[in-house]
Amino acid sequence: MSDAILETTGLGKRFGAFAANSDIDFSVQEGELRAVIGPNGAGKTTFFNLLAGVTQATDGEIRFRGERITPLRAPRRVARGIAKAFQTANIYPSETVLQNCRLAALARVSGLFAFEVFRSSRRLVDVDGIAHEALELVELEPLAGVRAGDLSHGDKKRLDIAVALATKPRVLLLDEPVAGMSLDEVRKTDGLIRGLAKRMTVLLIEHDMTMIMGISDSITVLHQGKILAEGTPAEIRANARVQEAYLGGHTEGHL
Amino acid sequence: MQGPAPLRGRPPFALPEDSTIDAILSQLPGQLLDGFVRGLVYVAIALGLTIVFGMLRLVNFAHGAFYAIGAYVGLVVAERYGLAAGLIVAPLAVALFAVVFDRVLLRFFYDKEPTAQILVTFGVALVVQESLRLYFGGTTRSFPIPAALSVPVNLGFTQYPAYRLAFAVGIVAIVLLVWLFIQYTSYGLIVRAGIRDRTMVQLLGGNVALASTIVFALGAGLAGLVGAAASPIYSVDPDTGFSFLVPSFVVVVIGGLGSFWGAVIGGLIVGELQSLTTLVLPAASDVVIYVAMALVLLVRPSGLLGESEVIRG
Amino acid sequence: MKALRFYALTALGLALFPFAIHPIGGYGGLATQILIAGIASIGFNLLLGYAGLLSYGQAMFYGVGGYVALLTVSRFFPQFPNFWLAIALAVAFVTLMAFVIGTLVVRLYGIYFALLTLAFAQMFFFIVFKWRDLTQGDDGLQGIASPPLALGPWSIDLTTSFPAFDLGPFGNLSDLHYWYAFVAIVMLAVLGFMRSLVSSQFGEILTAIRENEERSALVGFDPRRYKLAAFVIAGTLAGLSGALRGLYETSIAPDALTVETSGNFVIYTVIGGVKTLFGPLVGTGLVMYLQNVISAKTDAWRLIEGILFVAVIVFLPGGVLGTFSRKGARTVLARAVRVRPESVP
Repeated sequence: MSDAILETTGLGKRFGAFAANSDIDFSVQEGELRAVIGPNGAGKTTFFNLLAGVTQATDGEIRFRGERITPLRAPRRVARGIAKAFQTANIYPSETVLQNCRLAALARVSGLFAFEVFRSSRRLVDVDGIAHEALELVELEPLAGVRAGDLSHGDKKRLDIAVALATKPRVLLLDEPVAGMSLDEVRKTDGLIRGLAKRMTVLLIEHDMTMIMGISDSITVLHQGKILAEGTPAEIRANARVQEAYLGGHTEGHL
Repeated sequence: MQGPAPLRGRPPFALPEDSTIDAILSQLPGQLLDGFVRGLVYVAIALGLTIVFGMLRLVNFAHGAFYAIGAYVGLVVAERYGLAAGLIVAPLAVALFAVVFDRVLLRFFYDKEPTAQILVTFGVALVVQESLRLYFGGTTRSFPIPAALSVPVNLGFTQYPAYRLAFAVGIVAIVLLVWLFIQYTSYGLIVRAGIRDRTMVQLLGGNVALASTIVFALGAGLAGLVGAAASPIYSVDPDTGFSFLVPSFVVVVIGGLGSFWGAVIGGLIVGELQSLTTLVLPAASDVVIYVAMALVLLVRPSGLLGESEVIRG
Repeated sequence: MKALRFYALTALGLALFPFAIHPIGGYGGLATQILIAGIASIGFNLLLGYAGLLSYGQAMFYGVGGYVALLTVSRFFPQFPNFWLAIALAVAFVTLMAFVIGTLVVRLYGIYFALLTLAFAQMFFFIVFKWRDLTQGDDGLQGIASPPLALGPWSIDLTTSFPAFDLGPFGNLSDLHYWYAFVAIVMLAVLGFMRSLVSSQFGEILTAIRENEERSALVGFDPRRYKLAAFVIAGTLAGLSGALRGLYETSIAPDALTVETSGNFVIYTVIGGVKTLFGPLVGTGLVMYLQNVISAKTDAWRLIEGILFVAVIVFLPGGVLGTFSRKGARTVLARAVRVRPESVP
């Protein structure tokens, strides 16, 4: 447990009286591919937002590589190596595909704040290198000069992942990366994620059970904001309580 | 454009000559009443501002212009046909202007960024201000109070001008009427629901567009009415629009953007804050409301009664 | 080299400007005032055009800059009047002010940001207005002659006019004072700085933050620090502008800190063209020309200004300059269909 790369203790998020997340003791090892699943409304996206620093926790602690990061806001967490790709692709619509990644790479290279008012970012050679590398990983290199807002939905989601990758993360949070994708794109993204999982820790929210079962090292099940079960795909598939939670919930494919 | 005429000139950063506790106490009732009256003016202006923001998500920097137009129209009509006529015509004229303004220009900005809304309404406010200046001249005008109401009334603990009392009663009555309208009529229901969720109301078949226009005209008319009614108390000049707009934003921030009672409480707080500070530290009487506004924005931007969902970094 | 061409052409333009406006009623003093005010407008443009922040309080930096500069000469160091000292103190004070206020202000968005800047500006207005001991209150500071400009061994009286030289319809060289030359050089520096900033790494990131702040935070930029930096730069430029104005006019009054003055910078910049380099300067020139030349012909000049402002916002959101560029035309169309962004969580 102590060499977990990312762990939370008693993590909770309350919106007024409503507890979106509560009592979450979560831990993931470096290099793992952990899926986070649960019926709709289980608090999965909230959980990822807490990890990424998009929202601040109301209870509990988060530790990254042993360091307490709970009070840190999003930019500092990204700097430490936690990156998130969004459920609805969140990119810079008027910039090119390449520039989207360059910006992420620029943040990685120049840090939280750099008062460089004279020279352009082009002087930083690494920036282009990292950006192109990220684009190649998601196979968007041919579209580098295209305006991001003009991309298809599936391509936008892949760009979102590329942008996250360009920050050179150690932990990558993917929130429903294949939602709304065609079968073909899903297959491609599946391969992409497997490849990424070899190089970094990947946390994945998805509803596509077939994909989840095939790809994950382990699975955490959330229900009503708390952890319901954790284990290997086989264990989770056999878990009666998990099946119960899903009855009346919305999933694709069989458990 | 610095704010309503400074509350009586006194040496700055010095306590009043007669700074004993007795002196302060003896002036207190008068100042409290003054603060209440001034506060009611703010309430009437702020109500329109806050409801329009709550329902239309529209920031209207031209709201002060409604007050100014009401004041001038009221002045002109009253000079020829008497105060009562002025008080009737002014809000109607302003409401009409507001509807035209909305249909011709403003509705295209409903979904634009707040910045664009601020800019266009600021521009219109400027145009109105300058038009008034051109037409009426830049000198300050004041309206003579009808003889019947220019006598002081003995309230027991102090004397107070009758007109101001009548004004206060009138505004309170109107505020309550507006509240009743919003609480108990179907249009009012649409307004309240629209403040919470505009899209949902449209989906449910509520005529949001009509209700919006009514609300906008109502807010404008209210500002126009108080503009006319307050002109005997506070003199009128073309800059009046902005003079009252800026403190009204203070009110709306303190009370909470989008909250009816927030505007009421906020208006009274600001009015009293100004009056009471004049008693104790006159130089600070104008600054203090902006300090209050800054504090609210920094500590609790949603204001006293506003929604917690606020745009914050 | 592109930079050389930019500086050369701009310098040429600045040199010709006061003469070019002569046939239409302009004069040297007006040209000087336009450049001075233009410095503040350019700073404001960084905030509005590039950082997307509408500040209704630039006048506080402008006015305080003017007061500090004049007070330095008349009160703080009366036995040692020094031009550079006055400017330096004014700029230093305003920069500090902008830093402190900026730290508080950049936490807010949209209307709340605008209102908070307005609140602070009003505070400063009333403080200046009421603090008679220091600022002479309503009367303002008057008749404070500007100390000569010390440049190495030379001491230059900026109010000296150039030697007489008839330029026909473009006036006479003696219409210009050394003041104009000085301010033109400052303007050249400011324009050069802004040009560099916009295409710099800082400018690139600021634009990204404006376009999608949530994403920018989640790739690792700290949006608050970038906005603070923009706010401080804008404030500093406004303070410099105010200091120059104070020294040039030898006087200053509380009206330099009013909502109206803040509004002026908004108007100049929007009319001229947000997000363009020369837009704010063009807008300042256009409107001040209206104010000074047209005002002599008709009382309706401010009305014209207001109508022009509204017309620009509605029909030409890119401003005068913005519309006449390819990018500007696209912006006009984009603005026409633009939807308000989601509020940041």
